[in-house]
Amino acid sequence: MKKSAASKDAWALGALPSLGIVLGIGACLLALGLGGALPANGMRYLFQIFLYITLGEAWNLLGGYAGLTSLGQQLFIGLSGYAIAVVTGTYRLPLWLGVLAGALLCALGAYLLSFVLFRMHGMYFAVATWVAAEAMSMFFFSWKYVNQGGGMTMRISPYPTIHQLYPLALILCCLALTCVTLLLRSRLGLSLMAMRDDPEAAAAAGVNLRKSRLIAYLASAVLTALAGGLFFVNQGTIYPDSGFQITWTVSMVFIVIIGGSGTVGGPVVGAVVYVLLREYLAAYPGWSNIILGAVTILVILFLPAGIVGTMQTRMKFELFSQRRHPKPE
Amino acid sequence: MEIVQLVVNGVLLGGMYALLGVGMAMIFGIVGLTNLAHGEFVIVGAYASTLLAQGMGVDPILTLCVTVPMMFLIGAGLQYALFNRAMRRGAEPALLVTFGVSIILQDALLLLFSADARHAETAYGLATVRIAGIDVSALNLVLFGISVCSVLLLSLFLSGTYAGRAIRAVSDDGRAASLSGVNVRRIYALAMGIALATAAVAGLCVGMKWTFYPSSGGRYLLIAFIVVVIGGMGSIPGTLLAGMVFGLAQVIGGANYGLLISYLLLLIVLTFRPKGLLGK
Repeated sequence: MKKSAASKDAWALGALPSLGIVLGIGACLLALGLGGALPANGMRYLFQIFLYITLGEAWNLLGGYAGLTSLGQQLFIGLSGYAIAVVTGTYRLPLWLGVLAGALLCALGAYLLSFVLFRMHGMYFAVATWVAAEAMSMFFFSWKYVNQGGGMTMRISPYPTIHQLYPLALILCCLALTCVTLLLRSRLGLSLMAMRDDPEAAAAAGVNLRKSRLIAYLASAVLTALAGGLFFVNQGTIYPDSGFQITWTVSMVFIVIIGGSGTVGGPVVGAVVYVLLREYLAAYPGWSNIILGAVTILVILFLPAGIVGTMQTRMKFELFSQRRHPKPE
Repeated sequence: MEIVQLVVNGVLLGGMYALLGVGMAMIFGIVGLTNLAHGEFVIVGAYASTLLAQGMGVDPILTLCVTVPMMFLIGAGLQYALFNRAMRRGAEPALLVTFGVSIILQDALLLLFSADARHAETAYGLATVRIAGIDVSALNLVLFGISVCSVLLLSLFLSGTYAGRAIRAVSDDGRAASLSGVNVRRIYALAMGIALATAAVAGLCVGMKWTFYPSSGGRYLLIAFIVVVIGGMGSIPGTLLAGMVFGLAQVIGGANYGLLISYLLLLIVLTFRPKGLLGK
């Protein structure tokens, strides 16, 4: 098999060593956080970055690898946030039960939705995911059990501070990176990419389309649910508007496109850019989506591989390489 | 009598929904682009009509003389400058570019006009006409007239003019049309211009019928999408019919559940016909 010139000269760091480095950095950050060496403000930034990395990786798994462009991931964020609010607020049960309930509920929801959504492709899939999230939002608006549009409050005592939430977000982020890397390294990763590039050829070659898509969709839903849940634990209250808003998906799309769709490192870079840019744009209220939208469009037009993707081709270096024979013989 | 009343209201509402859908259907069917900014374009039209009518003290309908050419130029310009380029990157990147345009427009409207609710007032806004024992809102009748006339005008344009034939040719087979001397990019720009012109008219109707906010776009995008999915993308009678079906669903569902029912209806239709009810 002859490889393209670019990848022949490139030297690649395989997925597992890359993951090892990332987990090492994660362990250092965890030690710094637990040891009290980080200021609370720095922790808040990192907390956001970790969660957005998780959301980005989850969206990338669908949009970048499985060829499923979803505009409805906010469905899982809202569901998970509400699950935590109901478990801790209405039933006064511990937080971990709420998080677990949220993740399970989203897995179940994703499984049921898959029967409807997987019959559609491309734009039909994209808009149907969005419609599903909107329908759920409207349902929550008129559902008495969750206090309709009035929102719900998490009741956890003692309420976790950023010092407790930071390690949770960090662990979740490392879990997401590990999960996505291992998924993509497996046979499933190959199937997903084959399916994204040519579904018919992939099916002919024996890829079980439904099963591969379902695993990617479930993994993405659960990761999104966990990250969304932590966001709302940090926020304390949830409303149908904040839980199911399209802004969640806007941020995921931005993070993945900026960083590089279809790369594991992309969302990491994208999430850092996103959180910093948003923090900077907070000084210009009202402009944030205008700038984010414009940057997204410019990147799609002029830098379609994103920051990480472009750097990989320019600098002939590949992190989290999924290639089976990284070194040319 | 009540049922007749419901049906009449549903059909009148359906004319507007057909108009909302027809612009989306054109872009979908001819350009092959899912324009996620269509709802925002409708709202831009609504703002333009409402503010112009207030500023000049005229009936909102007269503002169409300004808003329709304006939106046509915006649409053609956007297609030339942005969407044609984005489409060369593939369907998904193009979809995300329109998504970017939609969030930009939404926040731009918010910055320019604040989050206040707007509404285009008319002298006949609350008047009713009694026809054959049924009370019909005069406003609904006027809006139905505007919508159906626009859709029929578009249909005549597509079937009767050279440009219309070229548009249909591109829709059937872009490569063959281009071999016969049709400039496909220019046709795309023309189609997007026309689609936004219909969005301007739809925006006027939305502004006269309901209150709207900068964030209302998503709702009208989804309505347009539902109409496209039910009615198919090529056929104008299909779009009209779909608008009416959807209008009836809304009237029967009422203010609280109308939209929810329509969303579920859409998901059900897509489950059994993943490419739309009349899709190819």
